[in-house]
Amino acid sequence: MTPSEELVRHLPTDMGGLPADRIDCSDHELLPWEKRCHALADVLDYHKILNTEEKRRGVEALGAEMIGKLSYYERWVVAFANILFQKQVLTPEELALKMDDVAARHAREAQA
Amino acid sequence: MTHTHDHTPITVPDGVPGYYEIMETAMRELLAEKGIIHPAEIRRQIEVLDSRGPQLGAKVVARAWIDPEFRQRLLANGRAACEELGITFYDDTGLIVLENTEKVHNLIVCTLCSCYPRPVLGLPPDWYKQKPYRARAVREPRGVLAEFGTVISPEVEIRVSDSTSQLRYLVLPLRPAGTEGWTEEELAALVTRDAMIGVSTIEAQERKVR
Amino acid sequence: MKTAPFPEIVTADGEKPVFKAGDTVFISTRYPVGHYRVPRYIRGKRCVIEAVIEPCGLNNEEEGFGRNAGQKRHYYRVAIPLADLWPGYAGSAADGLRIEVYETWLEGTK
Repeated sequence: MTPSEELVRHLPTDMGGLPADRIDCSDHELLPWEKRCHALADVLDYHKILNTEEKRRGVEALGAEMIGKLSYYERWVVAFANILFQKQVLTPEELALKMDDVAARHAREAQA
Repeated sequence: MTHTHDHTPITVPDGVPGYYEIMETAMRELLAEKGIIHPAEIRRQIEVLDSRGPQLGAKVVARAWIDPEFRQRLLANGRAACEELGITFYDDTGLIVLENTEKVHNLIVCTLCSCYPRPVLGLPPDWYKQKPYRARAVREPRGVLAEFGTVISPEVEIRVSDSTSQLRYLVLPLRPAGTEGWTEEELAALVTRDAMIGVSTIEAQERKVR
Repeated sequence: MKTAPFPEIVTADGEKPVFKAGDTVFISTRYPVGHYRVPRYIRGKRCVIEAVIEPCGLNNEEEGFGRNAGQKRHYYRVAIPLADLWPGYAGSAADGLRIEVYETWLEGTK
């Protein structure tokens, strides 16, 4: 077996039994955008556009590095983007342009 | 903060929104512009989520402690019994309630992701979703419980339930000694989220002053 | 064993559970590329069926790729002693795992 096969055969999210640290019991109140992100997942599920299993698979597909470096809801929102592109609900271009638009709007509001 | 657009007035905190928040906002606005979702649906779902928390599970547990027939129905079909109390399930998940006894202590985990009985407990704590708990709960549950300050006697069997399907779990903790005659409300006040996950037990306590 | 009241009934493929509570079965050993819902740590292990989950459900591996319809089969809640999963397990010999597994991941014999 070549060394890279395990990367394919063992999902980075499949953690049962792996060596791990002490549990850090700290918790955080969800930021408003995180809560909106969670609500978006549920609303997309209601509309049968993106179900829970697809969301899980989308997060897995981010790969080990992104999974390790992005927080829980950051992983969700990037996974949603990929899935929505794949389903041709949104295009990469329109999301990118809208993101610039939103960023610019916030910059203007911050200055106001 | 005023909003110059007619999208949902969901508040944005002061300060610069980060990359991912911008992505979430842009995605939501595009989907709304295309008529795929409506901003009111997001607002409503936030309210649904905000209304769910451990206090709901605590009521279920307290009811099961005082009403043996409810307890049996709860153990037979967790979702249906919660719905009897008005706790609706807004998704397609089912619920299995795991009864702690003198001989069996239950613990719940999702090693693959973060499955959690959200309709009845609200959103899970960060530690439940992170590697140390997910990796170790199935491997050394007693060590994990010890980190929460919970020691289970070696004569008691520990059952770890790992959620992988449409079913979610809720632990029905043992009713602590010395609570005979307590009201349902007093009992519910004893029940913690951590006891319903199984990382804690509920110890006998002083009756709270009414 | 009860005789079926309607022996002429033909069930759809997958409609009847293949296994029942109390059966000893094995978790299959295969390695899907991409999405799976059977964790590595239980692959190939022997387990006892604790309960047949009703009703049937979709295959969650396929659901992960957007397949919202199709053949449904049963999930089973199975029990595996922790000592069978982890060499040198230090807790009680009675400590066990419970996990739900889709029918296509279970085998009657090894």
